Amino acid sequence: MGRILEIQRLNFRYPDSRKKAVVDFDLEVSEGEVVVLAGPSGCGKSTLLRAVNGLIPHMYTGEYSGEVKVAGSSVKDSSMRDLAQTVGFLFQNPENQIFMFTVERDVAFGLENLGVEREEMRRRVDEAIRLLGIEDLAQRAPHELSDGQKQRVALAGVLAMSPKLVILDEPTSLLDPRTAMELVDLVSRLRKELGTTFVVVEHRLELLVKVADRLVVMSGGTKVLDGTPRDVLFGDEAEGYGISVPAITRVQKMLAKDRLAPTERLLTAEELAARLGRGAA
Amino acid sequence: MMWLSGGFVFRRGTSVYHRLDPRVKLLISLLMFSVTLMVQALYQLAMVISVMVAVAAVATVLRRVARTMLLTASFSGFIFAINLLATGNLASSALYAVRFVAIVVSTSLFFITTSPDELEQVMKTFRLPRDVVFAFVTAVRFIPVMMLDTLQIMDAQKSRGLELEKGNLLKRVRNMVPILIPLVVNSVIRSGELAEAMESRAYGAVPKPTSLVKYRARPVDKAVTVLAILLFALTAYSFYFLLPAHFP
Repeated sequence: MGRILEIQRLNFRYPDSRKKAVVDFDLEVSEGEVVVLAGPSGCGKSTLLRAVNGLIPHMYTGEYSGEVKVAGSSVKDSSMRDLAQTVGFLFQNPENQIFMFTVERDVAFGLENLGVEREEMRRRVDEAIRLLGIEDLAQRAPHELSDGQKQRVALAGVLAMSPKLVILDEPTSLLDPRTAMELVDLVSRLRKELGTTFVVVEHRLELLVKVADRLVVMSGGTKVLDGTPRDVLFGDEAEGYGISVPAITRVQKMLAKDRLAPTERLLTAEELAARLGRGAA
Repeated sequence: MMWLSGGFVFRRGTSVYHRLDPRVKLLISLLMFSVTLMVQALYQLAMVISVMVAVAAVATVLRRVARTMLLTASFSGFIFAINLLATGNLASSALYAVRFVAIVVSTSLFFITTSPDELEQVMKTFRLPRDVVFAFVTAVRFIPVMMLDTLQIMDAQKSRGLELEKGNLLKRVRNMVPILIPLVVNSVIRSGELAEAMESRAYGAVPKPTSLVKYRARPVDKAVTVLAILLFALTAYSFYFLLPAHFP
């Protein structure tokens, strides 16, 4: 599998700040991977994401060094127009990324901007609407939608541009637990159906460990941990960086001291239930 | 303010009139507006208003238009009084007063039957720059969001002891400051996020963006256009040449 994202020694400092927001950051992401990025607020996650989709350095200027490559081309040398078609960005607040008066028109927004022909646009808009299961919302106005629905609409608008890499910035922060779960299932389905790569910033790790291939932890603008969710969460350092280690993992870590925990290092409630059920039988 | 919002806010409808091409609806409203200015006698104005009422009936917005007329009438009373005091002419003062109602109704008919989406289309027809059209679109799009924002800020400030309804006029105006400042700050933050999202979705990538929907004038649109222009010409001609200006 090819590399969809390569970040080499990225450094970035905003003009009005003395401290660097991102320091010597390295990351490689393969096509089709789901990578979760965690870390305390203000650790540079948002800056990093903006460096991947080109808002840095194209919209925000500052002290920039290192290299970010998406699908083989340097972000610095690509236009926002090209980047918009390879990197999709779902921002934290869906409200502020829906522009038009009807859902359907908004899903088409990016394609209209790119000058895509009407028939082709219609096909891609319908496809994105179908993928997210929002057919019944197509003619609604944004203010008639719930937060969860707005998020789906915003994601449809991103997917209509058929990006290879999709960035989700704290996608569940405004959602209730059930809708949040649905979003996670959606990510897993889209990865399967479209082969899209996802980079997800998220605090609620217990939701995402199910679908994540990798967990990257950031602190102070740099990468401190990188591995499978199992390795990172069961490692000794995870708690120290202020990320929310899921309860299932914590319980096993506590029990491990008394040699009571299963040795498989189970990540989800389902895994633990299956293991304990078998053990009891 | 209530009569204004009630009289000009679009609500979804399925009538024949709602489904007309937005440009045709604009033309009809403009023609009605012009005729209103040509009227020289009250009975002529009554004719024009009855046409408007007929259009409102076709558009199934008769009740809303009737309410607008009633609410505008109070303001008309004021116009009537001023005119009567200034000129002493009962007929012309009444004409001015009723004409005001007709003008409001003709414009309101356009806005209550035309969706923001269609308004955008009309603006594009006039070849306004994309940025101008988009600024209009986002402004209208965020009206409900800002209204919700305002209510939340008002609740937050009231819960901290701000008494909005207390004091004299000056005090009440000053009370608005703790509402306005957070509202402005919110909007500035929001506009920054909007700009990021626009960039990320290739806003301004090509000089001539395409459009998902195309409004094409159907035969019925063309027929209505011809009919409206004919009726307008006939009315204008009869007002000036056939009908006496001072009908008893």
